[in-house]
Amino acid sequence: MDGSLSLEGVADHPAVEVHDLNVSYGSTPVLVDVGLTVPAGAGVCVTGENGIGKSTLLRCVSSLQRPDSGVIRVNGCEPGDRPDFWRAVATTVEPPTWYPGLTAHEHAELVCRAHGQDPAEAGIDEALERLGLGGHADAIPPSLSSGQKQRLTLALVLLRPSALLILDEPEQRLDPDGRAVVAGMLADYLAGGGSLLLASHDDKFAVASGAEIVSMDML
Amino acid sequence: MTVVELRPVRRWIRRTQSAHRDRGETATTAYVVVFSILVLAAMAQETLAAVFSPLVPNLTGSGALAWAAVCAGLLFATLRRLGPVTVSRPAAYFLLTAPVSRRRLLSPTLTVATVGAALAGAAAALGILGHAASTGSIVLVATGAVLGVLLAVAAATAQARPRVSRIADTAGRVAVAAGLAVLVAEEAGWTPPTPGGWPPAVVVVPLTGLLAVVAAAGFLLAVRDLARTPNDLILDSAKTAGTLADSVYGVEPSFLADMLERRYWAHRRLRSTPLPRRLPPLTAQDLLLARRRVPRLLWAAAATTLPLLLSGAPPWLLASTLLIGTMLAARTTTSAVKTDATNPVLLRLLGLTSRRTLWQRLWVPASLGTIWATVALGLLQLTGALPPGQWWPLGLALGPIGAVAALRAARAGLVRNDLLPVETPMGSVPTGPLLHAFAGLDLLILALPTVVALATAAPATLSLLVFQVGLGYLGVHAYLTFTTSPDRVELATR
Repeated sequence: MDGSLSLEGVADHPAVEVHDLNVSYGSTPVLVDVGLTVPAGAGVCVTGENGIGKSTLLRCVSSLQRPDSGVIRVNGCEPGDRPDFWRAVATTVEPPTWYPGLTAHEHAELVCRAHGQDPAEAGIDEALERLGLGGHADAIPPSLSSGQKQRLTLALVLLRPSALLILDEPEQRLDPDGRAVVAGMLADYLAGGGSLLLASHDDKFAVASGAEIVSMDML
Repeated sequence: MTVVELRPVRRWIRRTQSAHRDRGETATTAYVVVFSILVLAAMAQETLAAVFSPLVPNLTGSGALAWAAVCAGLLFATLRRLGPVTVSRPAAYFLLTAPVSRRRLLSPTLTVATVGAALAGAAAALGILGHAASTGSIVLVATGAVLGVLLAVAAATAQARPRVSRIADTAGRVAVAAGLAVLVAEEAGWTPPTPGGWPPAVVVVPLTGLLAVVAAAGFLLAVRDLARTPNDLILDSAKTAGTLADSVYGVEPSFLADMLERRYWAHRRLRSTPLPRRLPPLTAQDLLLARRRVPRLLWAAAATTLPLLLSGAPPWLLASTLLIGTMLAARTTTSAVKTDATNPVLLRLLGLTSRRTLWQRLWVPASLGTIWATVALGLLQLTGALPPGQWWPLGLALGPIGAVAALRAARAGLVRNDLLPVETPMGSVPTGPLLHAFAGLDLLILALPTVVALATAAPATLSLLVFQVGLGYLGVHAYLTFTTSPDRVELATR
């Protein structure tokens, strides 16, 4: 393994492999010998009650949290703060932040430009329109409601190219119509060859997005 | 609706709060504050003496009037920024929405602001009188205090009437700009018309008395109209005062800076513009940001004349002002770096290497810094305030140095309060705030050849230019190379 990760050739490995993962907060174990596989091009939705460790698992897979022990592979490589990792993996595990003085549309354009996409062909307007943000393209993100911010965050991760999407409760703060739209977009993402790992409390949403539901208790 | 008496509510709050404090805590706090002020005053005795009564008074009549305009404009801007009518954050939550007399709720802060403004006005008048070449009546100190009260009343009136506030704020800015323009013009050799000397005491005393009557009437009217102050503006000022207190107590200036930045953009109506295609994306973003900060750019452009005011000051002060001015001009667009340094979520989304990110973020600050430094040096050279030689090309070196210093300051993120304090004979010094304060400023050492040349009144030679430009570019390149990585996204090492 050369340790580099790219958008090409990701089908050679499972999108995510987790073995014997252990994480504790102080003396409280949260994840004990957890194992999980997300095949390339497939979606997995982990479910379970609050505090069971869904977000912790996603944070570990995203390299944002170091586990006590265990093996994690993303597209065959160890996750880490490397540019090639973050060009292949897009996540909403962390709360979003925004650049001052930039509108919602300009944030989307900036993300597309950074990934070498032509903003005119990336479908920014369509994505914002589909997510109900068409009338808010000129708004600065901090002025949007929490649901609209969530939609914008999802628009940004879906607009840019990626091999794996890691989403923590993407249905949160969305109204029923919004959930249906996002689920449809995630299904399109899977159909386009991407892999998906998400945590959710909404089984209906997970099924609509095309992800296989896996309970945390079974991992 | 029944209006609840506010005084017993406040008394109950005070009593309950003091019940939770240790015995004698309030007295200890008061002792520490008074003692600290006395110690600081004793330490800064010479500086204070130089400010209020210099050995060689240097201000002409026009200069004194110009300084008065600048001080008045700045005092008004400060009062407007703080409210001046405000309440504490808990009071904004619990009492602003309660059926209590709004006048009684809001009047204490107006009183405090008015007293503060009167003291500031008196101090400004005392300083200006001390600097004036000809002696003015000491009663003018009282005039300054009364003018301070009038400014506080004007600020409170502007706060209650949003339509008036725009005109008043513009007038304040014009006063500052006009005052500085006169001072700079004088320094550049312009002979101002003589105002005819200080007014005699027989004119000053009745005039001050009349102004005092107007100020007292204005204050009473302002108190009467306090209930008209819109809720949203009181909440804004409560947030400002609270954040200012957080910044002071937490020794974290970014709390206040971030709030002001958020508020600035929240009041702007933007229209999405395509990012310039020929530029790298982050450079294009910075350029767009600069285009959206025209007022700040105009102030920065006007500030290129300010070093002229220091042409008679010690050379090290002139050199420091030049470098800090360059750095401040470069900081116009570094807020995105600050965002990324504090929280790298967007950097991960962009997927760029930290090295590419910082190189792309350098160009706009470097351009702004270069333009600022070149113009400032050019103006100083034109007015003969510098030793012989061509000084303006040094702007080519100072600009990138100022830019890299601004980037480093933006990358400093939050103050680290977990570092061990350093024990000194003067007491323990907190390391975190100290390191944070000097982050960025430390890189200005790259401009040492220019500083030494200015301090020793050496002429600007070609060898100085080549050496300074070479050192500057090497330093910038080294900073960008050694503090970033092609294998890391985050701007800070984890």
